Amino acid sequence: MSRHDSDSSRLNRRQFLKYGAGASAAGLLYATGLQARTLSTNARVVILGGGAGGMAMANRLSRRLDGARISLVEPREVHHYQPGWTLVASGVWHPEKTMRPNAHFVPKGVDWVRQPAAGIDAANRQVELGDGSLLDYDYLIVATGLQLNYHLIDGMSPELVGSHGIGSVYASIEGAARTRNAIDAWIAQGSGKGIFTAAPTPVKCAGAPLKMTFTTLSRLEASGRRDAFQMEFIAPGLGLFTQPYINDFVKQRFDAQGVTRRHQYRLSAIDPQAREVEFTFVGPDSEFTSHHQLRESEFSREGERRVVTDYDFIHVVPPMSAPDFIKASNLIAQDGPFRGEWLDVDIHTMQHNRYPEVFGIGDVIGAPINKTAASVKAQAPVVEANLLAQMQGQALPRRHNGYTSCPMITGIGKAMLVEFGYDDNFAFLPSFSFIDPKDESWVAWVMKDRMLQPAYYAVLEGQA
Amino acid sequence: MTITGALTVLWFALAPFLWPIAVGVVLLVAVQGLAHLRGYRILGYRCLAANLAAIAVGLSGLWWIPLFTHSRLAYVASVFDWIALVGALIGLTAVTWLLLHPLSYLLQGKSPRYA
Repeated sequence: MSRHDSDSSRLNRRQFLKYGAGASAAGLLYATGLQARTLSTNARVVILGGGAGGMAMANRLSRRLDGARISLVEPREVHHYQPGWTLVASGVWHPEKTMRPNAHFVPKGVDWVRQPAAGIDAANRQVELGDGSLLDYDYLIVATGLQLNYHLIDGMSPELVGSHGIGSVYASIEGAARTRNAIDAWIAQGSGKGIFTAAPTPVKCAGAPLKMTFTTLSRLEASGRRDAFQMEFIAPGLGLFTQPYINDFVKQRFDAQGVTRRHQYRLSAIDPQAREVEFTFVGPDSEFTSHHQLRESEFSREGERRVVTDYDFIHVVPPMSAPDFIKASNLIAQDGPFRGEWLDVDIHTMQHNRYPEVFGIGDVIGAPINKTAASVKAQAPVVEANLLAQMQGQALPRRHNGYTSCPMITGIGKAMLVEFGYDDNFAFLPSFSFIDPKDESWVAWVMKDRMLQPAYYAVLEGQA
Repeated sequence: MTITGALTVLWFALAPFLWPIAVGVVLLVAVQGLAHLRGYRILGYRCLAANLAAIAVGLSGLWWIPLFTHSRLAYVASVFDWIALVGALIGLTAVTWLLLHPLSYLLQGKSPRYA
């Protein structure tokens, strides 16, 4: 049941604001001649996942499709603003600030299926739900997000976050809050070694491990005892960030701020009780590509060089992949750098490479970058336009340029507004000509702290 | 980003603060209106204390505006940072003056310096 199935005889404040936003946006669209036409269809459209991508598509398609039966498969009642989790884990935001009921965003006329998806039979155009029932579709949008594979680190589980000096901003909002507590405890200890890791796979918000390092540095400096703490950053590849300028900048800044860098090691095991971790050397035989290509079997390769070290605090970044039920389906990439791990889509049209009635959006797709909410903002209008064209048997009109954005927090209170795309070796694509992506600035921080969350909700409602 | 997109995001950013903004606007209009009914003219009344207080409130923004954004003045670094901050200070000063100036008129009555 969607929120509009409930008594709607009175407008509450939230609805008033939303309709006000809708009316304003509609007015702006009318004034600029951008108002899109609707398409009459009785097609069955299933959207898997109610995160940023799924919810944006539900709102966009509910406006563009007249008569379609749209189902949104999403078991969670709460929507999490995940870009805010680094601020929670850094002690800047309260966790509550990142949560809203999903009911606020599900549009009228969309059937909200409150169940997890359990499987996809792409040949027969069916989705299996958690209770075993089947959902038929004519068109499918895969927006499931990704899966955190903590189990690929021996001894690690998300339940450990917050205990034994272990933090991990990715685990959950509770995990982000517990990560903050673990950092608090480490700083209160007065000295010790902190290890920050990166994952050997594509990850969502690839800047988050770097941001956690920078914000922790800020907190250590504010404690007045920076010199009493050791900081190490251990990465599986030679790079720390995809965008070349930012990669060099972060490396230089780590060096200048006394963060010891070690490259080509991945976190392979952890002993929480002993506060020891094991890192396994990566390469040169298993040198990762720029896509951090990695097969699960490589995690258990024999004869690798291993380093065991102790820690007082460790920030764990788990390997990530598409959810298991996607990996088990026909929709998974079958060759190339994303084979077996990520959804097989054309990274420009967002259409599945083998099933033209299937589109992908968000973290689940096999793409070299693009696992951010900002990417969803750029992908949603592409998926919308191309899906409607597919429904009408027309050529796909729009292409995604790989736009993604990372407000690279370089300390609590300052950031760089890093926006880039696929082309020209991940060249910058700044939205605002007056904000230099190479500069640390207060305004970029204010955008992260104050403006990006409203922008995110505008994307969810299909308004931006 | 398009102008349409920027305005939409701005609307979403301001939406949670509509009530405080509305209360502030009502307060400002009420004080200005009441003062005008009692003979106040914005350019005809001088009050050094209101002017200095408005400037002081505006300058105080150098401290609390960065703090309000979980930052600090030392991180206001780029040219656009300073343009944005100075713009905010000027706006803060202007709004404070538009409130305090007629308020002082109402509290003091017709001043000897009233022209």
